[in-house]
Amino acid sequence: MIIITNNAKMMEETGNSIEKEYIDGTHKDVLIAVRDRIHKGHRLLTHPLSGSVKPNQTPFKSVAISKVPEKLDLDSLDIIEKSIRTYEQFEKIPTDNGKANNERILNDYREIDYKLLESALISANRRG
Amino acid sequence: MKLELGKIPIHDVKFDSESRIEGNTLYLNQEELISHLMVDENIKSITIDVARPGDKTRIMPVKDVIEPRVKVSGKGQVFPGTLSKVETVGQGRTNVLKGMAVVTTGKIVGFQEGIIDMSGPGADYTPFSKLVNLVVVCEPVEGIDQHTHEKTVRIAGLRAAAYLGNLAKDIEAEEIETYETYTVKESMEKFPDLPRVAYVLMLQTQGLLHDTYVYGVDMKHSLPTIIYPTELMDGAIISGNCVSACDKNTTYHHLNNPVVEDLFKKHGKELNFVAVVITNENVYLDDKERSSDWTSKLVEFLDVDGVIISQEGFGNPDTDLIMNCKKIEAKGIKTVIITDEYAGRDGASQSLADADESANAVVTAGNANMVIELPPMDKVIGYQEVADVIAGGFAGSLKPDGSITAELQVIVGATNELGFNKLSAR
Repeated sequence: MIIITNNAKMMEETGNSIEKEYIDGTHKDVLIAVRDRIHKGHRLLTHPLSGSVKPNQTPFKSVAISKVPEKLDLDSLDIIEKSIRTYEQFEKIPTDNGKANNERILNDYREIDYKLLESALISANRRG
Repeated sequence: MKLELGKIPIHDVKFDSESRIEGNTLYLNQEELISHLMVDENIKSITIDVARPGDKTRIMPVKDVIEPRVKVSGKGQVFPGTLSKVETVGQGRTNVLKGMAVVTTGKIVGFQEGIIDMSGPGADYTPFSKLVNLVVVCEPVEGIDQHTHEKTVRIAGLRAAAYLGNLAKDIEAEEIETYETYTVKESMEKFPDLPRVAYVLMLQTQGLLHDTYVYGVDMKHSLPTIIYPTELMDGAIISGNCVSACDKNTTYHHLNNPVVEDLFKKHGKELNFVAVVITNENVYLDDKERSSDWTSKLVEFLDVDGVIISQEGFGNPDTDLIMNCKKIEAKGIKTVIITDEYAGRDGASQSLADADESANAVVTAGNANMVIELPPMDKVIGYQEVADVIAGGFAGSLKPDGSITAELQVIVGATNELGFNKLSAR
């Protein structure tokens, strides 16, 4: 698998055994990078809208995709397109992250994003 | 399986030297309860407060709401596998303290929401404003991680509810309600002409702060399974879900599931309520496929004509909801889904993150993006500083006078996807 992420904690904690692509950008940039990979034939392994923390709240996102590109997976494409549309819908809702997102809160968002993907890794590791 | 619920109405909670129930008043020895809860080494301090309907009080950030109950007869104890030993519950008699709840608060992560206003416009959106709430404010020791903190608060709430429930163990309830589920063969013989209906109860299981426990098992690691509806009433399902206040199912919701309640009302008259199927909402897509395959297989095996599916949460679970709906409909079984909406502040945008034409019977619990105004309260129980974070953060804004402009999603239970809420449309 490959983890597409903009979460530094994900880069530090998961070690070198899992391939990762770090996106130096926003939550939405991660979703777009995932979509581009799906266009190239990678399959989505985790849901991009993981977590009940809303897309306009958490700045961090990690998504797992399959390592080897195959033919285009339409289910994956459907889910990522719907997720981007949902993100864009929430993007329109005004937020003021600047005031509230101090370092402690940002760390909490990193932790939640990391832990939710970790729960998926436990499932993924059961596969051959 | 048959369960009798003995309902003991509680109209007030007062502090006193001896914990007991007299008439409709619960008297509480505060110190005794606190020392009962302090057995957890992760707790630094506990404070207890009471919030009554009509008080100018705001409780925040709320983690769980729990109704005190106690087993009077029958196997097991309440909250099996979490607080008491693992033994199948759901039969015999259980006494319930009606009209009150234990409410836990804690700032486990910095962006916590979850408001219960006991009066004013906010109170109209949460059913918990109508209860006498015993609020447990739980301060953890320094340096514990979020996962341990969440567990500590969760268990403290259950422990407090069991302590209070225990005060009612020897009380003869005046009002007793009986719920009975028959085995598959019995119910087919009793109600041969009634449509067979199952309830698929989806449980939040994404990971940290998004978990649900069934007899102590983290449901994300389980396959979907069948449970008697009366097991829910004895606390077989516990909420560890601390995110998305408006549409999370608290432990109180699991104990008082309104879909179960309504299906029982029609059971044996209009329909045959066969079973509850519980399933999960995992992040990993293969888990979603497997679990929705499994729920559709279980309801097919039960030979039902119709299924009600309820969801918990937003976004990722929309995919589980639609997968469950599609696969069950594909087997020729009719479905009705219960959800809520994130349709933008004007309500005009797409409501769910997923959709399918087979989802053609939908009950909505309201639009969580709707903006509401919450006036200042005289008293805040919990952590006032969290309001400042909600304020600047994302969902609303705290004004200097203490009033909050927020989206409906900050209010506990406002758009609950079991339908345990007060919103309706004409």
